[in-house]
Amino acid sequence: MYQYIIRRFLIFIPMLIALSIIVFGLAKAAPGDPFSGKILDPEVGMEVYEKQRAELGLDKPVPVQYVRWASKIAQGSFGESITYKGRSVESLIKERFLNTVYLGLFALFITLIVALPIGIYSARRPYSLIDYGTTTFGFFGLAVPNFFFGLVVIYLFSIKLGWFPAQGTISSTKLTGIAEFKDRIHHLVLPGLTLGLASTASYMRYMRSEVMDVLGSDFIRTAKAKGMSANNVLYKHTLRNAMIPIITLLGMELGPLLGGAIITEQVFNFPGIGTLFIGSVINRDYPVVMAITLLLGVAILVGNLLADIFYSVVDPRIRYD
Amino acid sequence: MLKQLPHRFALLLVVLMVGIVLAACNNDGDAEPADATEAKPEDVTKTEPAEEDATEEAGPKKGGTIVGAMYSAPTGMFNPIFYEEAYESNILDFTHEGLVTQNEKLEFVASLAEKWETNEDQTEITFFLREGVKWHDGEDFTAEDVVYTYQAMSDPDYEMAGGVRVNYVAPLLGYEAYQSGETDEFAGVVADGDYKVTFKFTEPNVSPLYYASFPIIPKHVFKDIAVKDITEAAESKEPGKVIGTGPFKFADMIEREQYILERNEDYWQGAPLLDSVVWKVIAQSVMIGLLEKGEIDFVASPGGIAPADHDIVADFGNINIIEQADFGYQLMGFKLNHRTTADVDSGAVTPENWIPNKKLSDPKVRQAIAHAVNRQGLVGTGHGEGLLHGRGQPINSPIAQQMWAYDESAATNYEYDVDKAGKLLDELGYKDVTGDGFREDPEGKEWILNLDYPTGNELRERSAPIIQSDLEKAGIKVNLRQPAEMSVYVPGLTNDNTDWDLYLIGWSLSSTDPDPSGLWATRAGYNFSRWNNPKSEELMQKAVKAPEAFDQDYRKQVYAEWQKLYSEDLPALLLYAQNSLWAYNDRIQGIKILPSTMYQDSHEWWIEE
Repeated sequence: MYQYIIRRFLIFIPMLIALSIIVFGLAKAAPGDPFSGKILDPEVGMEVYEKQRAELGLDKPVPVQYVRWASKIAQGSFGESITYKGRSVESLIKERFLNTVYLGLFALFITLIVALPIGIYSARRPYSLIDYGTTTFGFFGLAVPNFFFGLVVIYLFSIKLGWFPAQGTISSTKLTGIAEFKDRIHHLVLPGLTLGLASTASYMRYMRSEVMDVLGSDFIRTAKAKGMSANNVLYKHTLRNAMIPIITLLGMELGPLLGGAIITEQVFNFPGIGTLFIGSVINRDYPVVMAITLLLGVAILVGNLLADIFYSVVDPRIRYD
Repeated sequence: MLKQLPHRFALLLVVLMVGIVLAACNNDGDAEPADATEAKPEDVTKTEPAEEDATEEAGPKKGGTIVGAMYSAPTGMFNPIFYEEAYESNILDFTHEGLVTQNEKLEFVASLAEKWETNEDQTEITFFLREGVKWHDGEDFTAEDVVYTYQAMSDPDYEMAGGVRVNYVAPLLGYEAYQSGETDEFAGVVADGDYKVTFKFTEPNVSPLYYASFPIIPKHVFKDIAVKDITEAAESKEPGKVIGTGPFKFADMIEREQYILERNEDYWQGAPLLDSVVWKVIAQSVMIGLLEKGEIDFVASPGGIAPADHDIVADFGNINIIEQADFGYQLMGFKLNHRTTADVDSGAVTPENWIPNKKLSDPKVRQAIAHAVNRQGLVGTGHGEGLLHGRGQPINSPIAQQMWAYDESAATNYEYDVDKAGKLLDELGYKDVTGDGFREDPEGKEWILNLDYPTGNELRERSAPIIQSDLEKAGIKVNLRQPAEMSVYVPGLTNDNTDWDLYLIGWSLSSTDPDPSGLWATRAGYNFSRWNNPKSEELMQKAVKAPEAFDQDYRKQVYAEWQKLYSEDLPALLLYAQNSLWAYNDRIQGIKILPSTMYQDSHEWWIEE
């Protein structure tokens, strides 16, 4: 098992190098550069940007630029952002990383506590009124665009009722400890709800179909036949088997979770990795784009690895060597 | 929990239904006729004094916090010599000051400098600085700070470190030598004692006050930091460390969410009445709701209120709207010349090599096109009309309308007249010979104009297909290209060894000097039309040539001539100037509205409860 994990980690290295070459090539292939999208200011001549381009080596061939970038990485630095003057890429990502993790986990938590019980219930009483009702509800959540749902909850719960703050992640830098935690949660509710409810439908449907599948299998019939209680059948035998595809889904979720949720972040002004990433792509802020891509690459690889490991925990028949 | 599910579902439905109904209500609001009390541009100044009179008995009170909204977070560079975006300037406007500032007539008036005098040929201007001005950290403001600011901007490393404000230092005496590192002696700005400082220019300067208006940064804070490292220094980024002389101190921030400015007790014009001004970053889509609720007190440039939302906000009752023309315009340019591939590759702008764009090279053709575009239609005349809901006007001259040099009577107004456009084109031989409804060129070949436009400004984006349909009504075939994001569009506009004909772009002009040569001089990089008119070149140079140009009336006359020439030769059709719509809660008193800002004298703002 450990050998397997180490081997998987070793495979990450060439994969990440390949990923970085592809993304670097694609980023450079896109027309424009960090200076071409600047707000046109008649007071700032084009020659100024020419000089700055040369300083950054943007006039050099792409392979040369790649080597320049990669050698910085080898020295342990992602370099400096171009858009955010005087800031290292690490500091920019660090600043938003926690926001993204809080929002992602909170939303995932909401998704799971809503989707899993409903999925199980629907599977036990398929084609009932509640099954149809929750399915409709789920697809409604899937179909309503995030920004619209976000605006509706802001309008209702923040502007009209005043229960939750509409924007941001915290109200003051002076809060510490429990007060800070409470304030952060308070700010998380609306964006978390918006993001979390949107993905309940897929988890709900997966859970429902998996539980139904397992409930129809021979060993469940055997368990029922020998007089095992319904709850025991459900929790001991059914759920364990039905969890496997959910774990796959969760493993795949790690990448997007760290990638942030661009639209939700924007509607709630919740500064996270998503808005940083999209902004960097638009501004051609190459160092930031590359760093986030690599971060997401690692997250997806690790997510898949974790999912594989959990398989063997849930289902002892799955072994790796 | 499971039993509650139907309720949950019902609740969600109710929530959504309510949301839809509420959204619909807002639309009803849209349709209502404009409120009679709304402030039109011309009567803003008239209504303001009246309000102040009414509250005079109560008198200004100390204390309180107001909240401003901006739609996008600053990048975080709070150093005047390195910042680039309007979001930073929202904060720097409260924390930093220059030697001079502009009044409501756009004249330069004293700020950190008390008075000044120029020498006879205007190669030097000497400022006598205000004494007793303190930096936020308690140190005295002196002439050395002024020298340091301009010296840092002339530093050989300044541009490499990301600085872009070289136009303020380029005319200074000895700039080239100092910038290239030939000498360590900075001769452009010289201190004489603590409170006297002289700016020296290489050539006689017609607007020396403009060059001296840059915000000053403290020498004692930056003197031990190399210019190339200034952007990385905490003194350029962090609250408490960013030091200016302004009425408010940058005290605290939640990065990308809130920027908290606190009263500067030692402010030289007297301690501000407000305790603090808080800038919050707010998504544009929820700003209006928060403005109505009172969570946001004011919103101004960049962005302000969208033209479509004007009437909704006016109906809130507690919000004052300031509507005045913006310093800038949108235009549809004509590519008169294209550059050669060799020039594009080398980046050279050599008018001698330019290849005329035959499709558009006759000014009469451009004039006909101008008549075919319904510019008033783009602006609209009231709510629900056009793209701007009437919040702007078509303009004819490429000089900001607020500027003394603007002369509306000099420029030709191309009224919307399809018949006239058609007649003009007929006369020139552009007739439909194939019978497909579109005109061919005089040689009978097909005549298709490519129209390129960028994304980013929604109203401009929406204007492109309207212009296409306007032109097609006059029988001009337009090939509307796919819009491109700015960072792709601008290189396309610059590297013009291509088939571009018509292009859309917007310019935001300076409020300081009307000299249009940065955009329209033949060799200017931003002369995207590649307009090459020797007469225009001559006039633009004449208007800034000493000693005649020391006289503003003389310059005015030369610019009038230039505006006439511009509007006849028509390198671009000016579409419209949008009005800026700023808003503030009427509990804030003492706001002074200037053509380009409402943040001046913020120390006099106070809250009426």
